[in-house]
Amino acid sequence: MRVAFIGKGGAGKSALAGTFARLLAREGEQVLVIDSDPMPGLALSLGLPVTDAGIPDDATVERQAGEEGPRFKLRPGLSASDAIERYAVSGPDGVCLLQFGKLREHVGALMRSQHAFHQIRQEMPLDRWHLIGDLPGGTRQPFFGWARFASVMLVVIEPSEKGMLSARRLARLSNDGEEAPAEILAVVNKARHEDDAARIEARTGLRVAVTVPWDEELADAERLGEAPIDAAPNSAAVQAIASLVNQLQTGVLP
Amino acid sequence: MKIAVVGKGGSGKTTASAIIARVLARNGAAVVALDGDTNPNLGLSLGVGVDETERLVGMRQALDAADGEHASDWDSLLDLFGSDGPDGVRFAVVSQIDNPEPGCP
Repeated sequence: MRVAFIGKGGAGKSALAGTFARLLAREGEQVLVIDSDPMPGLALSLGLPVTDAGIPDDATVERQAGEEGPRFKLRPGLSASDAIERYAVSGPDGVCLLQFGKLREHVGALMRSQHAFHQIRQEMPLDRWHLIGDLPGGTRQPFFGWARFASVMLVVIEPSEKGMLSARRLARLSNDGEEAPAEILAVVNKARHEDDAARIEARTGLRVAVTVPWDEELADAERLGEAPIDAAPNSAAVQAIASLVNQLQTGVLP
Repeated sequence: MKIAVVGKGGSGKTTASAIIARVLARNGAAVVALDGDTNPNLGLSLGVGVDETERLVGMRQALDAADGEHASDWDSLLDLFGSDGPDGVRFAVVSQIDNPEPGCP
C-alpha cells in the first residue's frame, strides 16, 4: 500500500504514521517510511533516535540544460533500490526510514532531497515495498507530490474548530485539478467525545476511516519521546491504528 | 512593540498570539494582529468567527490576483483587507494557502 499522512501541524501525523509503519512491518512486510517534514519527529515515533542521516547532496546531480525532467535526479548508477539501501535508516521491526537531513538548513539540500524522494518513490519496486509518507503540516503544499501516487491520503484531524477548518481546506484542495488524490479519508485523532467523528464528517465532507481516542498513555509516550508502539502497545490509540492497518490491508478501506 | 510567535505545529502559537493581542488591546494598546501562517486560523482564536476568517483568506487571495483596489499604505490596506476584531484588535491574513503544486520545501 501507499499511504500519505497529511493534516494540520500538531494533529498527530508523525505519531500515527510511525505507529502505522511499525504495525505493518511487524507482520513481516517491507515498509519504507518517507519523512518529508524538515522538523524532526517521525524518527522518535518509530523508536529511532533523531539523526541527521538523510540523502546527501552528492546522491543527486543536476540535469543538463535541455534534458527532460525535474531539476535534480539520482546520480548515474544509483538506482532507487540502491538509494534506499544506502541512505535509509533501519529501525525496530525492520522498518526503514528515509528522511531529509534534519540538521541541514539550506534550501538547496532540501530541494535535492525532495527530488530524490520523488524519483525513489516512482522507481522503487512497489510489489515488494509498502510506502508510508509523513508530510509537512498545514495546507501550503498539502500533497507534496503524493496526490497522484498514494493509494490513499489520510487527513489527520483533531476535533477542534481549527482542526476542522484546516481539514476543510485540504478537502477543498483535494477536489482541485491535476493534483487531486485518488482516495482521501479522515483519521480522527485525540477524540474525547462520542460525536467527534460525526461532527468531523459533517463539517469536512470527508469519510472517517478510524477514530483514534485521546489516550493518556500515548501522550506520555510522546512526552518522553518514546515510540507509542513500544511504550503503550496495548493502549486504545495503538489498537485503533492497528484496526486502520487491518482495514487497509484487507481492502475494507478505502 | 512587534512580537512574532514561532514554534512547532500544534504547540499553541495561534492561541498564544490571539490572547497576547486581546490582552494588549484590553490594556489600551492599538493592536494589529497578522496571520502569517499558510494555514491561517488566527481569526478563530481571536474570536472573529470561521466565516470572517475564511473571508479574509479570500481577501488576501484577491489582493494577489489584483482583483481588489490596491491601497497606498498599511493603514488603508488594513481597512481594505482586514477586519475589526473583539477588543478593537485589527486583524488581517497576510499568507496565501492555495498552492497544492509541489515545489521547493
